[in-house]
Amino acid sequence: MQLPPFDYAVPRNLAEAVDRLAASAGNAAALAGGTDLLVNLKYRLVAPAALVAIRGLPELRGVRDGAGGGLDIGAGELLADLLEHPRIAALGGLHAAIRAVGSQHIRNLGTLGGNLCLPTRCWYTNQSEAWRTARTPCWKTEGLVCHVIPSSTTCRALNSADTAPMLVALGASLVLRGPRGERALPLADFYQDDGVNQHTLQPGELIVRVLVPAVAGRSAFRKLAARTGLDYGYASVAGVAIGPARRPRELRVVAGSVASRPVRLRHAEALVLERGLTPETIEAAAEATRADLGEVTNLFSPPGYKKRVVRGLVAKLLADLATTKERAA
Amino acid sequence: MTHRQFITLTVNGDRREVVVTPEMLLLDVLRDGFGLTGTKRGCTSGACGVCTVQGDDGRAVLSCLSLAIQWDGRSVTTIEGVAGPEGLHPVQQAFLEFGAVQCGYCTPGLVMTVKALLDRTPAADAAAIDEALAGAICRCTGHIKVKEAARQAVLRLQAAAQEQAHGPAQG
Ligand SMILES: Cc1cc2nc3c(=O)[nH]c(=O)nc-3n(C[C@H](O)[C@H](O)[C@H](O)COP(=O)(O)OP(=O)(O)OC[C@H]3O[C@@H](n4cnc5c(N)ncnc54)[C@H](O)[C@@H]3O)c2cc1C
Ligand code: FES
Ligand code: FES
Repeated sequence: MQLPPFDYAVPRNLAEAVDRLAASAGNAAALAGGTDLLVNLKYRLVAPAALVAIRGLPELRGVRDGAGGGLDIGAGELLADLLEHPRIAALGGLHAAIRAVGSQHIRNLGTLGGNLCLPTRCWYTNQSEAWRTARTPCWKTEGLVCHVIPSSTTCRALNSADTAPMLVALGASLVLRGPRGERALPLADFYQDDGVNQHTLQPGELIVRVLVPAVAGRSAFRKLAARTGLDYGYASVAGVAIGPARRPRELRVVAGSVASRPVRLRHAEALVLERGLTPETIEAAAEATRADLGEVTNLFSPPGYKKRVVRGLVAKLLADLATTKERAA
Repeated sequence: MTHRQFITLTVNGDRREVVVTPEMLLLDVLRDGFGLTGTKRGCTSGACGVCTVQGDDGRAVLSCLSLAIQWDGRSVTTIEGVAGPEGLHPVQQAFLEFGAVQCGYCTPGLVMTVKALLDRTPAADAAAIDEALAGAICRCTGHIKVKEAARQAVLRLQAAAQEQAHGPAQG
């Protein structure tokens, strides 16, 4: 598959990149590692007139100590480089989530910012243009139908970015830079449950840094995919527990690949916070995830399958959190 | 209108100049521009690894997901640059001996993947080999012989490194 023609700009700094993107009025796209964007260009899913290369921008580089002992990660950092960083290696859950993204080949090119901005996916749109034209366009491709859930009046494509649920569970926030300056935004508020407009990035705005607060606790991540080490997940779950292993004071459990945004599993959390983290409560909490998930989009999987996967993954995740020694960040 | 531009690309040690437009892939420049057709075109969407080359940081890079223009001033190694004057690279030799090749279409990508891994992680264990090979897929056979060959290459490279450090093994 060939790429369509486009212009290519290499800004010298962040301000220039933002200017260039803002001036294009939505007709230019930021190119980080390109592992998703270039595929979507080949599929003619997007058609920007210009690509603005942001990977080398100095403002998007480096892993630094953040405020209060946390981590301050450049959005342009390669996933492969992050895996080799000692502070990320010490954060077991985040390390596992980054390692779950695609294959080593993909992580050698892909960036953290690109992963957080990964567009939602479904089995109809993420295909070549020739494949798609065999059917009428859908909500995402300017049509009025969903081929996946024919009764749906909106796009329900899935957010499958593996680092997203983990960073939401860690309470991460973003530093964004746009034409109107810089702003900070909790990652949880960056996403919205809309398959077409899955995030709240303003035109011309870029993720500059990802801030992970220090967490005196444990983190864990689990994913189930058709093949380990290349495929998007049927589901993934991420968790952070703070306090005694059997009696956490704080707990956040977040699922990925189940909706157009990462989903906090609050029923499961509440049950553990009330009754402690024991083999019995783990089973009950895993069962409680059904109440959190509501109606689930079973893309790429038979009806009911995703809920069973989340149930199983949450049971394993909670067992990880009850036993890991690690203190996050 | 997309503009044409000269880029300088060092391929297997040779510095070359080539005219590209932004939408040209590194894969296209290597194959169609330089005639280095050892690097294969497969899925062109990052999912098979047959287009793998080695970048200047030593890592395995998918040339189907890299714009040539992004490589201006940098260097890559392709399968054509792997064998030395003394003959095949230990990874190539091990593939040959273990019969890790059927039709051969995936072989350049698999060799580049294993070479890139061993250049950065000379003592790669079986798990590291599995992880690296997850992104480079053989359509003909399983990965068993490929993995055996990779493990053999680790042993050979380690023996060679020891020999260099301490002289040939005795007895
Ligand atoms: C075969 C294959 C398997 C994959 N498997 C997985 C997987 O298992 N899990 C997973 O999560 N992903 C997977 N991916 C998707 C993708 O490779 C990763 O999400 C990767 O991290 C994307 O990063 P990138 O730098 O390459 O992004 P790009 O492709 O460069 O960009 C992706 C999008 O983000 C925008 N963007 C990039 N950086 C910024 C920024 N700093 N600020 C604002 N916008 C930005 C771009 O404009 C674009 O819209 C896979 C891809 C392939 C091809
Ligand atoms: S052709 Fe590049 S990964 Fe398949
Ligand atoms: S030998 Fe035929 S694709 Fe691997």
